[in-house]
Amino acid sequence: MEEQLKNDFEKSFKNSNFSSKSISLKKEFLNKFIKDGLPNKSLENWKFSDINQIIKKEIGDLSFYNDISTPNKIDSAIYLNGLEQNSIVFINGRAEKIDFQFEEKNKIEILDDFELNNNYSEINSLIDLNSAFVEKSFKILIKENYSLKKPLVIYHYTNKKIKSKNINLRLNFILEKNSSLKLIDVLNDISEKNFINTFYSFKLNQDAILKNYKIDNKNNNNIKYSFTNIEHEKNSLSETFIVSSGSNFNKNEINCNLNGKYASAFINGIFSLNKKKHHEIRTSVNHLTELTKSYQLIKSVLENEARAVYQGKIYVNSEAQKTDGYQLSKAVLLDETTEFNAKPELEIYADDVKCSHGSASGSLNENSIFYLMSRGLNYKEAKELLIKGFLLDVVEKITDSEIKNLIKNIVGLKE
Amino acid sequence: MLKINNLKAKVEEKSILNGFTLNINPGEVHAIMGPNGSGKSTLSNILSGKKGYDVSGEILFENSDLFSLETEERAHKGIFLAFQYPLEIPGVNTSVFLKTSLNAIRKARGEKELDALEFLKLVKQKSKDLKFDEEKLNRQLNVGFSGGEKKKNEILQMSILNPKLSILDETDSGLDIDALKIVANGVNSLRRKNNAFLIITHYQRLLDYIKPDHVHVLMNGKIIKSGGPELALELEKKGYESFS
Repeated sequence: MEEQLKNDFEKSFKNSNFSSKSISLKKEFLNKFIKDGLPNKSLENWKFSDINQIIKKEIGDLSFYNDISTPNKIDSAIYLNGLEQNSIVFINGRAEKIDFQFEEKNKIEILDDFELNNNYSEINSLIDLNSAFVEKSFKILIKENYSLKKPLVIYHYTNKKIKSKNINLRLNFILEKNSSLKLIDVLNDISEKNFINTFYSFKLNQDAILKNYKIDNKNNNNIKYSFTNIEHEKNSLSETFIVSSGSNFNKNEINCNLNGKYASAFINGIFSLNKKKHHEIRTSVNHLTELTKSYQLIKSVLENEARAVYQGKIYVNSEAQKTDGYQLSKAVLLDETTEFNAKPELEIYADDVKCSHGSASGSLNENSIFYLMSRGLNYKEAKELLIKGFLLDVVEKITDSEIKNLIKNIVGLKE
Repeated sequence: MLKINNLKAKVEEKSILNGFTLNINPGEVHAIMGPNGSGKSTLSNILSGKKGYDVSGEILFENSDLFSLETEERAHKGIFLAFQYPLEIPGVNTSVFLKTSLNAIRKARGEKELDALEFLKLVKQKSKDLKFDEEKLNRQLNVGFSGGEKKKNEILQMSILNPKLSILDETDSGLDIDALKIVANGVNSLRRKNNAFLIITHYQRLLDYIKPDHVHVLMNGKIIKSGGPELALELEKKGYESFS
């Protein structure tokens, strides 16, 4: 892989606009990635999802040079129907469209200059890979007191014309004081056997609100990794909801730092997996000051050799008194070929906190199925109704009613 | 309507029903009374098609062999079991469940499914008749309902599905006297010439309000005595011991 990496790096940046300083920093990331390689199960955070083995088995050798010089046509079928929306469309890793049609133009700044930093390099080698190869790093700034009128939908679309086995994307959002953003991240792939590595960072200033919905529901054979970092200042709030269902493999990592008083982070999601799919959500919520709050609820329905992993960590440092942290995962295993791994973790250094975690998994209750069948539903209908009920409870946590309905439709929970 | 001949049932080699025989004709109300462990709940489970029993004998419902029918097919044919312990189904809206159930049965019978408006009208009327709190229709099925509300919900389902044979498995247990009256009135208002009821109970109490045509005493998996309503009173006075 080393030779491929070096050659593809040369091809990617020989005629680029990057400064020599940036190039040399990118080279450092490249060399770090060459040294570390893809994460594997010997690392604690990757012990349930050995992405090195998974990529080897599902894709084989990766290639990294993604020629994005030619524009792609946007197929209007990719858009979410019935939703007034701003949009950013990526096709095969190239930003084809950035459209804030519903917003006041002077309230949003979009920069695509590259600002590399070392801040996240400690997390894992995939972030180094991302830093080395990412072509454009978007920075979107929402000005003070401005709330976007409509959601922003980011479409990640790939098709068979994709030129590289690996795509790296990076988006940074800054929400100034008392601003708010609803973001919907939609994955949609026609391409096969690619590794898509995305990195999101959010800075929520005082009183800012982020609603962050990540939807992976279309069946595809790609391998995905997404890292999201959310920095919370005083009284800011983030709500993340993950629909983890479509890709062959998908790992979502969410890191929330609650830096300011009264900041809160909500992370909810569902795994709905079949056909040997393997998905993971790993969260790390860090309560770094007093009076902060976090809540996590993850529900899984698994069948047909599917595997889901939830690693959820709540960290409370010694200053974070009066922390309120909650975490629960529940899984329904529809047959004996499925597997659910949960690793709930609490690490608490303050003494006046309220924290809890729990995890449960099992099969559907046969008595409940019998009850529904005695009312005229056949076995399949009874099972489906129970599964819907099981998942609905977490989808109901979505606070935006329009997006809640959209997600209910997407995951088939519409009544 | 229902003919049970020499029904035997075992669970894991343990005999529960030992040659149970019973005939129920349209328009009749039968009560089966028996002590704990006499096989009452097993009987209702087998009638509604619960798996896990090793059975022999014969059950005919309107001349078709019940053993060849799945649980939902029995519901389609008009058998209804009011559960002793109705299950809580999280995330499933009570009203949506009722509509799904009714339309599944109507569809299987080749009848037109009710639309949302028609259903709403029906369910509102039935809830009113049974003094069932309408607000509960929008709650998750049985979740957080009191024991009495769950039983009333069973009777509401029964009145909406309008079955031919209703089996009430200890519907009176856990009911206070007001709820008992409401449930009994509900049952009485559903009595017709062409439907029948099988009431399974420990106590004579419910039979003060629902007058049975026939009373049977079930002990050790078979009927040991049958008679009219007076048998229930005799049982109440003398206890099950005197019959064994």
